[in-house]
Amino acid sequence: METRKPLLLSLIDTRGGIFLGLVAAATILVPVLALMVPANSAFALPPYLVALFGKYVCYALLAIALDLVWGYCGILSLGHGAFFALGGYAMGMYLMRQIGSRGVYANPELPDFMVFLNMKELPVTWWGFQSFPYAMLMVLLIPGLLAFVFGFLAFRSRVTGVYLSIITQAMTYALLLAFFRNDMGFGGNNGLTDFKDILGFNVQAKETRVALFMASTIALGAGYLIARAVTQSKFGKVVIAIRDAESRTRFLGYRVETYKLSVFVLSAMMAGVAGALYVPQVGIINPGEFAPANSIEAVIWVAVGGRGTLVGAALGAIIVNWGKTFFTGALPEYWLFALGALFVIVTLFLPKGVIGALDQFKARRQAAKQSGAAATAAE
Amino acid sequence: MTFISRPARARAIPLTGPAAKSLIETLSFAAAALFLVMLALFAAPQARAQGDSSVIVGLSSDKFPDTERALNELPASGLATAPDIVEALAANRLYFNGPARKLYFADEAGKMFDAATGEPSDVMASALKKVRINNAVRRSLDAARGALTLMSPDPAKRKAAADSVFKSRDATALPLLDAALAKETLASTRKVLEEARAAIVAGDSGANEVQRLEAIDILKSRGDQDAVSVLTTIASWSEGRVKAAAESASSVIQAKLALWRNVQNVWYGLSLGSVLLLAAIGLAITFGVMGIINMAHGEMVMLGAYTTFAVQEWARTSHPGLLNYSLFIAIPLAFLVTAAVGILIERVVIRFLYGRPLETLLATFGISLILQQAVRTIFGANNREVSAPSFMAGSFDFGSLQIGYGRMWIIVFAIAVFFALQFVLRATSFGLRMRAVTQNRRMASSMGIDTNRIDALAFGLGSGIAGMAGVALSQIDNVSPNLGQSYIIDSFMVVVFGGVGNLWGTLLGALTLGVANKFLEPIAGAVLGKILLLVFIILFIQKRPRGLFALKGRAVEA
Amino acid sequence: MSLTRRFMLRTAGAALGGALAFASPAAFAQGAGTIKVGILHSLSGTMAISETTLKDVMLMLIEEQNKKGGLLGKKLEPVVVDPASNWPLFAEKARELISKDKVSATFGCWTSVSRKSVLPVFEELNSILFYPVQYEGEESSKNIFYTGAAPNQQAIPAVDYLMENEKVQRWVLAGTDYVYPRTTNKILEAYLKSKGVKPEDIMINYTPFGHSDWQTIVADIKKFGSAGKKTAVVSTINGDANVPFYKELGNAGVKATDIPVVAFSVGEEELAGIDTKPLIGHLAAWNYFQSVDNADNKAFIAKWRAFTKNDKRVTNDPMEAHVIGFNMWVKAVEKAGTTDTDAVLDAMIGVAVPNLTGGYSTMMPNHHITKPVLIGEVQGDGQFNTVWQTSGLVVGDEWSDYLEGSKDLISDWRKPLSCGNFNVKTGKCGGATK
Repeated sequence: METRKPLLLSLIDTRGGIFLGLVAAATILVPVLALMVPANSAFALPPYLVALFGKYVCYALLAIALDLVWGYCGILSLGHGAFFALGGYAMGMYLMRQIGSRGVYANPELPDFMVFLNMKELPVTWWGFQSFPYAMLMVLLIPGLLAFVFGFLAFRSRVTGVYLSIITQAMTYALLLAFFRNDMGFGGNNGLTDFKDILGFNVQAKETRVALFMASTIALGAGYLIARAVTQSKFGKVVIAIRDAESRTRFLGYRVETYKLSVFVLSAMMAGVAGALYVPQVGIINPGEFAPANSIEAVIWVAVGGRGTLVGAALGAIIVNWGKTFFTGALPEYWLFALGALFVIVTLFLPKGVIGALDQFKARRQAAKQSGAAATAAE
Repeated sequence: MTFISRPARARAIPLTGPAAKSLIETLSFAAAALFLVMLALFAAPQARAQGDSSVIVGLSSDKFPDTERALNELPASGLATAPDIVEALAANRLYFNGPARKLYFADEAGKMFDAATGEPSDVMASALKKVRINNAVRRSLDAARGALTLMSPDPAKRKAAADSVFKSRDATALPLLDAALAKETLASTRKVLEEARAAIVAGDSGANEVQRLEAIDILKSRGDQDAVSVLTTIASWSEGRVKAAAESASSVIQAKLALWRNVQNVWYGLSLGSVLLLAAIGLAITFGVMGIINMAHGEMVMLGAYTTFAVQEWARTSHPGLLNYSLFIAIPLAFLVTAAVGILIERVVIRFLYGRPLETLLATFGISLILQQAVRTIFGANNREVSAPSFMAGSFDFGSLQIGYGRMWIIVFAIAVFFALQFVLRATSFGLRMRAVTQNRRMASSMGIDTNRIDALAFGLGSGIAGMAGVALSQIDNVSPNLGQSYIIDSFMVVVFGGVGNLWGTLLGALTLGVANKFLEPIAGAVLGKILLLVFIILFIQKRPRGLFALKGRAVEA
Repeated sequence: MSLTRRFMLRTAGAALGGALAFASPAAFAQGAGTIKVGILHSLSGTMAISETTLKDVMLMLIEEQNKKGGLLGKKLEPVVVDPASNWPLFAEKARELISKDKVSATFGCWTSVSRKSVLPVFEELNSILFYPVQYEGEESSKNIFYTGAAPNQQAIPAVDYLMENEKVQRWVLAGTDYVYPRTTNKILEAYLKSKGVKPEDIMINYTPFGHSDWQTIVADIKKFGSAGKKTAVVSTINGDANVPFYKELGNAGVKATDIPVVAFSVGEEELAGIDTKPLIGHLAAWNYFQSVDNADNKAFIAKWRAFTKNDKRVTNDPMEAHVIGFNMWVKAVEKAGTTDTDAVLDAMIGVAVPNLTGGYSTMMPNHHITKPVLIGEVQGDGQFNTVWQTSGLVVGDEWSDYLEGSKDLISDWRKPLSCGNFNVKTGKCGGATK
């Protein structure tokens, strides 16, 4: 994407401006509060919150990626967790290779789990992952490639609606089962964990955590801008047209498959980046991330925030996950009731999500103001 | 102990040898021991108990080898209560008081007797310790009691006894087997008795070669896994013609069994398919026909399973006689309970979401979380025990295929539910209205159909069927709050693979996936097999984007 | 050479434990406020089925301790959170417990992956975790106390029992495909081969989590078992999949007298969901059974039933592990006179408390405890009948002697060694260098 100024500015509406402003504020404030304010001050941000916020930000990026395909292109993917997890695994593999001989078996070449699975040499799939640039390339390439192959097949055969949703679910479920297999060489159920360094910095150090958080917020901002650029462009208009009337768009002469495929692949790559940033902050990646329920939850974030608004998706991810964090601690035995009720209430009473409700509220106030003004004028 | 009709002649067996404890010997000791108990009882009824202390001490020492040794010494002790002691031991009703060296047994009603004298005793079972048995003691008991029930008037018991002799291959049972064979009139029981005899003779190095070869032929004609087991054992230590015959017989059987394994795979596949069908068929209504992406479907199955549990619990505490038939109460009740829950959900939530299928996904996902946690709060997070009624236990043989009654009844039930549902949809006015509403809501409404009511009832029907599936699944799976979760994805796969909106598609889809899974499993392993199937479904949907049986017409685009 | 050294360290540890077993508790330090104890067990999701019980046990133990006057003159305050069977959430909740709630110690986790997920957190923030479940070993963290069984406290004695008492010659190692069964089976395979079992007499089978259709595998087991040699199944099948597995065994008529199944993950809780009559005689190896007959255990069961207001509630091995772990922690805190992590870590080693099987369990320098090994047969009432028991206590062996990479490793967290993976061959801390 080119970053000519007028274009960039044209992308940012009021809502986007507020959103980017908040993201920027977080990018600056979190490091200040976490590192510069003395730890005993009331304003000091404990490190565990930095990691927690970092996690939310990664989820927000995933939600934006999902909103791009669902909110703007009408593809309800119940398998976006798979792209997220693949990005995470690519990062995890890099981090595992950084452990080197500090593992419990002190094998300089092989991660611990390979040693006790009696593997003699590094599997081909792991080659190259000691290099950070290669790993980052894979973070984009692997989810992108999967999305390309899957999307190419599915969109070409015009699989749509619930059928598409269900086979995306089948895809993530198949990957879940595959990654559970220890023979795959990705650590089986335990996944990859106990990371030490990233780019030579200790993963657990406060400074590294803050840097990772900043990287995540920057990625979120960039992700938002890219998604915004796509949806605001001429290309984006066609995509929205596909969402609203696929056959009609096709009859108008657009190659619907190409559009869908491009958006799907882009979205998968964004999800991959989110996953890659997520892993060093939570400290573990395992096949549980492929669970279909996780992908469904991501869809719910988008719905809660407001589908087709991008900002809403990010907001929904943060609201739901903050709620989860809060209720699993405050009401450990009843939080599922709260979460379940939240989903039901949002679908029933906030069909356009939180953002939609805010818009409605604003519109009503404006209408009230206008009629009020009209009334005073009449007096 | 009423089943011995006449004393048979026994070979003299030295019963004093305390050492030599190989398994076979243990078995023969126990069998012979019991046998001699019988002899003692019938031949010398005047011999009264002296309460041989070594037996009592052995049985009350709480050590398995001592228990076994005491069992072997029991006949020589001349204890009149020996048969009662043996029966009580097998039924876990034998008690002892360690310090006082006293042994007691309880009868079936729980009344206590002093084992040394046979006199009733007022000692409380709670004040005593049970004589414990382990697998070794249990095996000896089984073999011995098996040998002794060969003459039982009940043919089923005789057959079971012959089977257990076949397994124990206890040479001392040979005279009894011969006696039983001489009396046996039922052909099927006779066959088993002959096979049991053959198993002993073929493995008896003392018998002459002709007899052994004949015996091997009989085993060959039995032709099952157990026969292979006997034959390979014999082949491993025999020589010459016997060895060759045993080897060839076992390879013949194995070749035959390999063919049967395909039949077995089909059967297992049908069985798995019927489970998938049961799990998916309710979803075929709520998702397939009504278009609701019903993520709470699995929880309806779970509620059905918990209804079964509740019914059984009720039967167990207040009507024990009904326990065996509790499933027949549970099936309609589960239907009603889950249908009611379904109607409630439809009225409160789903009816506001028609025409917005993807939002039904979100709402029902929320509902599924609530239902899971509700069940967890009410019943606890642990598994609940649902017992199998007697008609679902056990199995019968069909050729070389062992068919479990439980699995068979589940298949029958699945098919019955399928056709009942077809009947409701095709032949009742409710079914007609329901199809009308799902095909064209507005037109149906203008024809005077109360669409609200039909929607609620249809969702209730789908949920109710899921509940009935839960009754069946409680027989083979965990009854836990997570029960539904493990079936929801498979159910969606089945419905989508079969073609949304088509019940026949669901039937064929479920059975195809079941059978394919069972043929893949031996080749690729359980996990890889399942992955391959998922990939297959994904590719299949590319080829036929609307499943096996696609609905045609205008409704499709909506 | 290496063996002797290893042996000496262990013996020293055992002696230390014995000496301290009856040491009198330190004087109570007076102070205001409460001492917080974290409880990190899943209350929802797939693991809730096993872990909810452990949360309740902890609440009971804490309530009881408070009735006795608390600890160091302060009341104990439980902090319960729900990590929801979600492994990253375990790490997040652990961080929250330590950083936000400032708990003095945490009792939690069930699966190995949850422990692996929180391990870096506990090490980074220097706090204490008590892990109550049998596991695959191959780990020893400064901040974790492993009160469940290591493979040598469960798997190997069980195999020995079957070999000696049931004369088993052919083995099916069936497990769920994850790290605990993989490692246990690897150890067992090496062990069986060392005992002269031929490779063709060992069949290894892995199934996915929650596997529910066991028809094919049970048929395979029956086939494998008909080769004329006594066959047994060693099951490391995980929780949820057990019920359908046992139901299928019952349906297929696989009796314990023909092919016994010995399980390491099936306890009273799991059996509570099954009709056990067809399963009589199948085995399990644990360090505790509810049926263990002694006064301590009876009192514990009575208390547990009163606490849960359910006179049918069963007890199981991981519950006992929490009882031991909690009592050890209480004793160590009293000894140290503070809940400060480093002081308690030092005080823990050598602490001995009564277990519920009638002996004393001691915390060894490798952060594993001594336990008796019990083999039980399933009874018709869902309980186990102990048929065999080790004569003494067995020390948990974190680094298996039967695995190539780990046989030279030991762990000793006492100063000056303070190392979780000391290589006795190279004399260096930090694993097996090639």
